[in-house]
Amino acid sequence: MPKIKVNGQEIEVPEKSTVIQAFKQAGVDICHYCWHPGLSIAGVCRLCMVQVEGMPKLQIACNTEVKEGMSVNNTSDVVKETVKWGLDFHLINHPLDCPICDQAGECGLQDQYMQFGSYDPEMAEPKVKKSKAVDLGPTVMLDKERCILCSRCVRFTDEVSKTNELGIFNRGDRSEIGTVQGKPLDNNYSLNTVDICPVGALTSKDFRFRQRVWYLKEADSICPGCSTGCSVKVHYNEEGVWRVKPRVNPEVNGHWMCDVGRNTYKYVNLKSRLLSGKVGKRDLWQEVSVEDAVRSAGLKLRETSPDAIAVVYTGQYTNEEYASAFKFFKEELKVKNVFHWLNNPEKVNEFDGLLFRGDRNPNTKGLENAFASFGAKGSWDNLQAGINGRKFKTVIVFGPEDQSVFPDLDEKIKMFSQAENLIWLTACANKSLDSVGGETWQIPVKTYIEKAGSFTNFQGKVQDFKAGTTIVPQALSVSEAVELMAGREINWNLRPRGVGGPKTNYAVSDRGEL
Amino acid sequence: MQVKLLSEHYDKPEFQTLGGYERHGGYVVLAKALKMDPNAIIEEVKASGLRGRGGAGFPTGTKWSFLPKNGEPRYLLCNADEGEPGTFKDRVMMEKAPHQLIEGMIMSSFAIGCKKSYIYIRGEYTDSLRIVGKAIQEAYKAGYLGKNILGSGFDHDMDVYSGAGAYICGEETGMISSLEGLKGQPKLKPPFPAVQGYLRKPTIVNNVETLAAVKYIIRDGAASYRKHGTEKSAGTKLFSVSGNVQRPGTYEVPLGLPLKVLINDICGGLKPGRKLKAVIPGGSSAPILTADEANKVTMDYEALAQMGSMLGSGAVIVIDDSNCMVDMLSTIMHFYHHESCGQCTPCREGTGWLNKITHRIAHGHGESKDIELIKKVSEQMMGKTICALSDAAAMPAISFVTKFRDEFETYIKKGQLGAGGAAHA
Amino acid sequence: MASTFSMSAEGLAFIKKELTRYETPYSAIIPSLFRVQAEHGWVPPEAVVLLGKTLNLPEAHINEVLYFYTMFNTKPVGKFHIQVCTNISCAMNGGRELTQALCKHYGVEVGQTSADGKVTINKVECLGSCDTAPMMQVNADSYLENLTPESAIKKLKEMGA
Repeated sequence: MPKIKVNGQEIEVPEKSTVIQAFKQAGVDICHYCWHPGLSIAGVCRLCMVQVEGMPKLQIACNTEVKEGMSVNNTSDVVKETVKWGLDFHLINHPLDCPICDQAGECGLQDQYMQFGSYDPEMAEPKVKKSKAVDLGPTVMLDKERCILCSRCVRFTDEVSKTNELGIFNRGDRSEIGTVQGKPLDNNYSLNTVDICPVGALTSKDFRFRQRVWYLKEADSICPGCSTGCSVKVHYNEEGVWRVKPRVNPEVNGHWMCDVGRNTYKYVNLKSRLLSGKVGKRDLWQEVSVEDAVRSAGLKLRETSPDAIAVVYTGQYTNEEYASAFKFFKEELKVKNVFHWLNNPEKVNEFDGLLFRGDRNPNTKGLENAFASFGAKGSWDNLQAGINGRKFKTVIVFGPEDQSVFPDLDEKIKMFSQAENLIWLTACANKSLDSVGGETWQIPVKTYIEKAGSFTNFQGKVQDFKAGTTIVPQALSVSEAVELMAGREINWNLRPRGVGGPKTNYAVSDRGEL
Repeated sequence: MQVKLLSEHYDKPEFQTLGGYERHGGYVVLAKALKMDPNAIIEEVKASGLRGRGGAGFPTGTKWSFLPKNGEPRYLLCNADEGEPGTFKDRVMMEKAPHQLIEGMIMSSFAIGCKKSYIYIRGEYTDSLRIVGKAIQEAYKAGYLGKNILGSGFDHDMDVYSGAGAYICGEETGMISSLEGLKGQPKLKPPFPAVQGYLRKPTIVNNVETLAAVKYIIRDGAASYRKHGTEKSAGTKLFSVSGNVQRPGTYEVPLGLPLKVLINDICGGLKPGRKLKAVIPGGSSAPILTADEANKVTMDYEALAQMGSMLGSGAVIVIDDSNCMVDMLSTIMHFYHHESCGQCTPCREGTGWLNKITHRIAHGHGESKDIELIKKVSEQMMGKTICALSDAAAMPAISFVTKFRDEFETYIKKGQLGAGGAAHA
Repeated sequence: MASTFSMSAEGLAFIKKELTRYETPYSAIIPSLFRVQAEHGWVPPEAVVLLGKTLNLPEAHINEVLYFYTMFNTKPVGKFHIQVCTNISCAMNGGRELTQALCKHYGVEVGQTSADGKVTINKVECLGSCDTAPMMQVNADSYLENLTPESAIKKLKEMGA
């Protein structure tokens, strides 16, 4: 491994590394826009200029390979001057509309200007005018004036999604990113272009104008959208969760995630959620505290004979939750009838070649492992027969967190509710559930962002995650629910506080909707 | 003063056809070359001191020797994307002597072990495209192209490719991108074309005049070729002379000829009553020479470099005292702004910026600080980009405002033309 | 919209042939765009869709090529597309005055097409015929050189413009 000096600091870097990679490895700041570790080298922004000892001209760090004994710096006056001017060249036709730009606060131009720029601009000419608010497709908007033509998005659609919707048309300072007639930017990875856009040129239709990013906090998590289990960051504030972005994980998702996965924040928020316990049946619901609901459900379970209980699992819970549930039902209640509700068996092995899998559960593998380690088995047919034949009096369902990926949800609710008693743990409210005829317990549980645990992805890789934020403080994890059903206590003092929920915008409510 | 190697038969219309070309010694040198050891040809070209005639002046034999020494397929591209303002010598050759280019290319290909070559001709040159295309067909029919050329066992295919209007395709990697069917944007180096060029295969890009000169080097020998020109600038050069001279045109002279001889004796001097004001010696990107400098300089790579300018493509634009330098610079800046491919930020934005400043001055809205700003912007455009277009825009800008600073200052003060000059468009 | 655009059978045959002529199908884009322009006078967006299908290449890549090279007209032009060089040597020798004279004669501004759709006048960069300045090119024909406003108008008249 070659040893090189980065701003005087000696480091050892892997063979064939580029200088910019060496800077990153050394933790030394270096200005750049077009370079992205997940894309080919374009070398066009010309900002990562460094001085290489022994070379007369400045070199771009992104396209310069390290050599043993090389000494590079980006601190000399000539480099600083070049970077300063490089930034100015980027800004002379940029609208500088930060106050109304969604990228403000996470903008490469802002960041690098504060760090490497801070000069008085000399550009006094009229700027090149280009189209703004260009609709690129169902997910992304383009502001051509903000675009600095780094070509990251074009390289992404050419090299990663391989969907080729984007191009740079025209030349010189008239160059514009765009799509062609009849071929919008429309693929399941389109929003990655927004992530990698270093400026506010590409914005997400879902996120734009909704929050200032400096009001958002972020928490690391694992995407529950499918069995790939991409590493993600969830962005939230006291009003709820606003967006999900990918987090670099070379072993699973690299730099990317799919658009479907980004939607997983929506059901997490208050509007969709079940906020209290509900006991009763159609037209006779009683809203009770979560504790009361879960304790009375536990009582019902404990008074039902084990052979008359059916436990139905979905692949949407954590390994830790499965462990406590299996322990309770198998070892304490001695229930033998356990079932795996697989929402889409015919698509479960599908794969788009990049990240997105047909198994829309984050933890099918974990559930299978739990079945195996507890020596449990259960076939779907027996369940139906058992309910119809009145063998199963009490059915408890660990229902889907993301209900949208269970196309058979309503139909299954109908089937389960034919049992005398139905206990349903669910994160979200559900109309079908509200109209069942049998005695039913609805118990609110936490979503992935509200709990710690691990999912085992399709590769068998166990991925831990921490709790991010809490939207519904009264919701329980399955492990907590199981403890309470068993008649034991949990430590209520350790339970989180919730978020405040969407603020009322009086300016809007007084004048009507914007 | 003129030495006609490449242009010897320009005055004979029949030289355009295969028959006429053969009557004047055409393809005889090819037969000779195909009997030589390919390395001997490369050595001969090296010994001749031939340097690229397109603009950069890089030694041709040395360029060829950068190719990998293995059997990997390789390409030769002839750069006929003549776009440097003031340059037209390649078009004239393609129209008057297409076969001498083809012959030079076949023997060059033989030397470097290349089985496929392209002549990339700028799209506006419809006559050249037609004439060269026809000449290639003639050469195939006569067995100078195709399989087993002249019984040598050497196979070679040649084709023409038309550009479509982009100066940047004259940059060798821009040309490669264009031939690959992409936008003509220059590629990052490394890798260099000799290692990874057209379709990532080793590729040599040579100018029309360079490749035609190879024929004469092989015909007469390196020593004989070297008799023309200077020690470091060997051989003859085709100059495209235009602007305010009596007899503009293409002239072949030995390198090292005094510029004033070219202007006054060969091109008939200026119009009566006019005084020399300046000369652009090597196409619009070459820094301008004042009349004093022009009267002193000789036309070779070294002398022009010493003067802070360059030989470039050999496009000599002669400027008399009826011209306004502010106007001329804004014309040149318009060109580079129009032609910047747009990928590298300093060039994309810098060419636009310079164009705006110079036009603002030309329209009478200049400010005194503009001159320094032009220099600062230009300096920051130099040596900062993938290709040299950015430098090509910056160099004339710096030289104009430095050497004709008084005229710029006067213009800015008065908000209008100084001495003479055409109206602004 | 795509259905309104079509090419001649010969044109399509030409494109298919160009597809096999070079080492990569991409190299067929420029000749195909020239062919479209020869048949239609300009290259409409629908042509990009058609070429995308015919060449089996992404439309965005074809569009990049179309908009990069200035010889392709991305808007309709007159039957006679007059392109006057106004780069340095031509400007020094009356190229701009020639443009003005032609504009006046045909009653159009630079970049515009005459009302009868016959003539479009544009200024272009150096066409590489500086010794015959001022000069111009009409469509993709041979150059017209050593012009005066009078001689240019006369030549254009002979051509039918």
